[in-house]
Amino acid sequence: MKTVAYRLLAVALIATGLSLTTEAFFTLPNILNILRQASLTFLIASGLTLTILTAGLDLSVGANVGLSACLAATVMKSSGSIALGAATGLAFGALVGIVNGMMVTALKLPPFIATYGMLWTLTGVTYWFMGGDTIHGFSPGFRALGSGYWLGVPVPIYVMAAFLAAGGIFTRYTTFGHEVYAIGANREAARLSGIPVRARLNLVYTLSGAMAGLAAIVYLARLNSAEADIGEALTLPAIAAVLIGGTSLFGGVGSLMGTLVGALTLTLVVNGMNLRAIDANWQPLVTGAIVILAVWIDVVTRQRAEATV
Amino acid sequence: MVDAGTVHVLLGQNGAGKSTLMRILCGAHHPDAGEILIDGQAARLRSPADARRLGVAVIFQEFSLVPFLDLAQNIFLGREPGGKVPGTIDRRRMHAEARRLLDGLGLDVDTRTLAHELGVAQQQMVEIAKALSQNARILVMDEPTAALSDREVVRLFERVRALKREGVAIVYISHRLQEIFQIGDRITVLRDGKNVGSFAISTDLENPKNLENTANLENLVRLMVGRQVTMSYRERFCETPGEVLLEVRDLRAENGVRGTLDVKAGEVVGLAGLVGAGRTELARAIFGADRVVSGSVRVIGAAPGRGPAGAVRAGMALVPENRQTEGLALMRSVQDNVLVAGLRKLFPSAWYLAAKAARAASDVINRLQIATPSPARLVRFLSGGNQQKVVVGKWLAAGSRFFIFDEPTRGIDIGAKAELFHVIDRLVASGAAVLMISSELPEVVAVCDRAYVMRDKAIVGELKRADLSEENILRMAMHHG
Amino acid sequence: MDSGRSIPGAAYLLVILLVVFSIFGEGFATLPNILNIGVQGSVLLLLALPMTLIIMTEGLDLSMGAVLSLAGVVLATLLMNGHGLAVALAAAAGVGLAFGVANGVLVVLLELPPFVVTLGTLGIAQGLALVLTGGQSVVGIGDALPALYESRPFGVPFSIVSAAGAFLVFGFVMKRTRLGSYVSALGGNREALVLAGVHVNLVHVAIYAVGGLMSGLAALLLTGRMSAGHPTAAIGLEFDAIAAVIVGGTSFERGNGTLVGTLIGVLTIGVLKNGLNVMSVSSSLQVASIGVLVIAALVIDSALTALRRPAGSTA
Repeated sequence: MKTVAYRLLAVALIATGLSLTTEAFFTLPNILNILRQASLTFLIASGLTLTILTAGLDLSVGANVGLSACLAATVMKSSGSIALGAATGLAFGALVGIVNGMMVTALKLPPFIATYGMLWTLTGVTYWFMGGDTIHGFSPGFRALGSGYWLGVPVPIYVMAAFLAAGGIFTRYTTFGHEVYAIGANREAARLSGIPVRARLNLVYTLSGAMAGLAAIVYLARLNSAEADIGEALTLPAIAAVLIGGTSLFGGVGSLMGTLVGALTLTLVVNGMNLRAIDANWQPLVTGAIVILAVWIDVVTRQRAEATV
Repeated sequence: MVDAGTVHVLLGQNGAGKSTLMRILCGAHHPDAGEILIDGQAARLRSPADARRLGVAVIFQEFSLVPFLDLAQNIFLGREPGGKVPGTIDRRRMHAEARRLLDGLGLDVDTRTLAHELGVAQQQMVEIAKALSQNARILVMDEPTAALSDREVVRLFERVRALKREGVAIVYISHRLQEIFQIGDRITVLRDGKNVGSFAISTDLENPKNLENTANLENLVRLMVGRQVTMSYRERFCETPGEVLLEVRDLRAENGVRGTLDVKAGEVVGLAGLVGAGRTELARAIFGADRVVSGSVRVIGAAPGRGPAGAVRAGMALVPENRQTEGLALMRSVQDNVLVAGLRKLFPSAWYLAAKAARAASDVINRLQIATPSPARLVRFLSGGNQQKVVVGKWLAAGSRFFIFDEPTRGIDIGAKAELFHVIDRLVASGAAVLMISSELPEVVAVCDRAYVMRDKAIVGELKRADLSEENILRMAMHHG
Repeated sequence: MDSGRSIPGAAYLLVILLVVFSIFGEGFATLPNILNIGVQGSVLLLLALPMTLIIMTEGLDLSMGAVLSLAGVVLATLLMNGHGLAVALAAAAGVGLAFGVANGVLVVLLELPPFVVTLGTLGIAQGLALVLTGGQSVVGIGDALPALYESRPFGVPFSIVSAAGAFLVFGFVMKRTRLGSYVSALGGNREALVLAGVHVNLVHVAIYAVGGLMSGLAALLLTGRMSAGHPTAAIGLEFDAIAAVIVGGTSFERGNGTLVGTLIGVLTIGVLKNGLNVMSVSSSLQVASIGVLVIAALVIDSALTALRRPAGSTA
C-alpha cells in the first residue's frame, strides 16, 4: 500500500500543477468530469488488473466492451427492455472471458497471443454485426447511469466505488484473492502448495470478461449510442492505467486501488492536454509513451529486487 | 594430472566438486588458488574463448546444440568458413569439413540433418565433433553415458579409444563403476573438493566380474566417504512406527521412475542415491506433480485427488529442492507464504479473516522460531535457513501429516541444519511421517530410521536402521549388476 | 533453419481453400483475380518476413502497422511537397528503421516484454501519424510513385516483384550467411551462441531494426496503391502478419522458423480474404475469421510440439 500512497501523491502533484497553470482546471464541473472519466477507464481496467495479477494479460477487454455494448444496445432496442439488454451484455462479456480462460488453461496458449487473437475476432464480429449502423437514443433513466448525477456526484463514480469495493474484498478478504496473488507471484510454487491453478485462472479470466461486460453497459449509458468502433481506443488506456497503478506484469504485485490511481493519473494528463487545446491526436502517442515508461519502471524494479535475493 | 592419450576418471559424491572443476576448466569459473598447467605451461582460463584457444573442450550433460540448425552449422557456430561475399558462409567447405569430422567419429548421418532430429547418443557425437573441430586436445566429459543405451555406450567407447590413440587427453566424470573399469586408465577420487586418492586402474579386464573385486570397490567407496564425525540429531529413533501413512505400490511415472515403498507414522525414511537416480522425480510423482502411468499411491489408506491440489488435501506436503523457485513466493510476505497451503483448511468458507490469519501465521513463526522482524517482511530478505523454515511452516499451517523433504539442508548453515532436523524430529514424534531425499550421506545415516536406495530411476533396495551406513548406501547406489 | 522439410500444414489448407473458392466463388479463379491476390499480399509479405524472424526469437512486434502508416504519411507528404521519390523513400525507410531500432533497444537491451512495449510504440507511431496529418489523407503525391507502382517489370506487377525480391533476399540471408545462422541460434539456444563468442545482443536488436525498416519500405507499395498517405491505412496489418507467420508454421519457441511457410501463410490469408470477398462475406467477418484461424493454428502448433516431445523426458 505504500507504493499506492506514493502514486496518489503523484496524482496530487499533477493536479496541483495543473490548477496553477491552467485556468479551467480547478472548477467543479471539470473535476467531476475527470472523476467520471477516470471511473469509466477504471471499470474496464479492473478486470484487466486481475488477469495481470496472475502474470497473464487480457488484451481483448476493449473489444469485449465494444461488442458487448453493441449487443446490449441491440437487445435493448429490439426488446424494449433495458434489463434484458444489460443482462445480454453482461452475459456475453462473461462468455468471452470463459473462452479466454479456456484458451489459457486448457489449450495452454500464451495469454497475450490468445487474447490478442480474441481481440481481432471480436473486432471483426462487431463490425460485421453493426454493419455500419449506429444505435442510439436510449431512455433518460438508462442514460443517467452514465451521464447522470446522484447527490451531485456523477453516477459512474458510484459504480466505480462499487467495483472497487467488490474487487477489493475479492482480492484481500477471500481465499480466492490470496490464491490469485500466489499464482502471480510464483505459479509453480502455488501449484505445489496445493492451489488449483487452472480453476483460479479460469475464474480470473471469466471475471475479467464479466467486468468488461458491466463496463460496457455503463459506457453505453454514457455515450448514448453504440457503434462498431467504441471498443478500439479503450485497450491501451486500460493497460496504461493498470501499469501506472503499480501492478506488475510479472504478477503477484498490485491492487485495484492502484489501478484506480493509475486511471486518475492518466485522465488528469489527458484532461490537462485537452484544456490546453493540444490536438487530441497526441493522446495515443502520450499513452503509448506512458505505457513504455511504466513497463520500464516495472522491469527495473523487478531486476533490482531480484538482485538482492 | 592427465597424460595425453589417456582417460582419467573423476569420481566423487554429489557436491564433491566435480562440476566446479569442470567449470573452471572451461573458463566459466575462476579458481581462488592453485594453478593449471597445460603442456607444462601455466594456463589462465579467464573465459570460454581462452579455454578454446588452449585446446580444452568440455561436454556438459545439457548439450549446446541449436535444435533447428543443421549439424555442420552447429559444429562451426561462430567460426563458419567464409564465402566470397563477406558475411556469407562457404557451405560446401563447411559441410565437407563436418563430414570429415563425423566420419572420424563413425557417425553416419547426413550433415544437413537438423540437430533436433538426432537421438541423444548422436547429438553427443556431434558435440564431440564440435569439440574436435576446435582442435581440442583436452576433452572433459560429464556423465556421458547417462542417456545412452548399452550399444551406444559401446560405440562411444570405441571413439574414446580412437581419440586416445590420437593423443587426446580425456577427463571422464562418471559413477558407473563397470564403465570406469572398462575405459579408464587412472582414477582420482574427489571428496569435499579435494583430491583424496589417485591411482592407476589395472588393465586386467578379462574377467568382466572385476566389479565384484570387492577390494577395489571397497577402496573407492571408502575414499569417497571418508571418515566422518557422527552427529546425533534424533532424540530417539522410531522403535514402534504407527500406521502406514504413505503406501506406494509398483508406481510407474511418466518421468521414468518406478518403485514400491512404505512410510509409517513416526518414521523418518531416507531416499538416497546419486545424482540422476531419480529421487526428485519419484517424489514429484508421489506428490502428483508429475503424471503417474501405473501403480498406486495411498495416503492414510485412501487415494489422493488429482495433482498437487489433491495431494495437499489428502495431507501430503512437499518441501522442494529449489525452495526459491518452487517453494516460495519471494515477493510476498512471510505471513502470505506461510498461509498459502492452508487457506482452504483455515478458511473453509473462503472468507479470509485477517485476525485469524495473523494469529495462525504468528503461531507458526513462533513454533519454528523463524527469524523475521515482522510477519509482513518479504520472504526474499530472509536467510536461507529461515526461508526453509517458511516452507516447512507452510505445511504446518496446512496440517499436513506426511512430508517429503527434497535436499532440505542444501544451502543452509550448520546451525540452521541442526534446527531443521530438530523440527523434523518433533514432527515425527507427534505422529507425522517424513520421506527425506538427501545427498548428504552422513545426515541420512544420522537422521533416518531406515532408507530406500535408488539407482537408474528405480528403487533397488532398502536399508534398515542396523544396516544403515554410508558405505552400504553408496554400494547400493553404484552397483551395476 | 527451415523446418519445412516436411510440407507445412498450411500448404494443404491453401490448396483446399483454392479448390473450394474456385468452385463456389464466381470469378475467383480468373487471372486478374489471382494477380490481385498477389498484389494485395505483397505488402503483407514485406511485413511477415521480418515478423518471422522476430517470432522465431520469441518476440513480437505489434507496432508494424502503425509504423507503416506513419512512414506512408511521411512518404506522401514529402512527395506532395515536391521532393524526389528517392529522397521520400529514404525518409520513410528512415522512420521505419528508427522505430525498429527503438523496439530492439527496448526489448533486447532494457529487457522489456515485447508485446507491451511494441503496443506502446504502436501508440506513439499512431499518434505521430495523426498529429502530422490531423487525421486526413495526404493526397496530391504526383505521378512518379503511381507510375512506378503501376509498372510491370518483366510483365509482372511491381508490387509482386518487390515482394518476391524481398523474399529472395531474406531467404539468402537466412540460409547462406552467418547472420542467418545466428538468428536461428538466437531462438533455439541462446547460450550456445553466447558461448560461441557472437555478439548476441547486436543480432537481436538487428532483427527488430529490420522489422522497422521493412515497415518503412512497405510504405512505398501501400502509398503507391492508394495514391495517398493515410494515418490509419495499415492499422491491424501486423495482426495479419503475425497470423501469416503462425499459420505458416513458425512457432514461438526453439528457433523453428520457415520463410517458405510464411509465404504460404501470406498466400493463405490472401486467398481466404479474397475468396470470402468474392462470396460476398463482409470484410469484418474476414477479420474475425483470421482471428479464429490464428487460434486454430496455435492449438495445432502446441499439439504438434507436445507430440514431438518424447514422453517422460526431463528437461
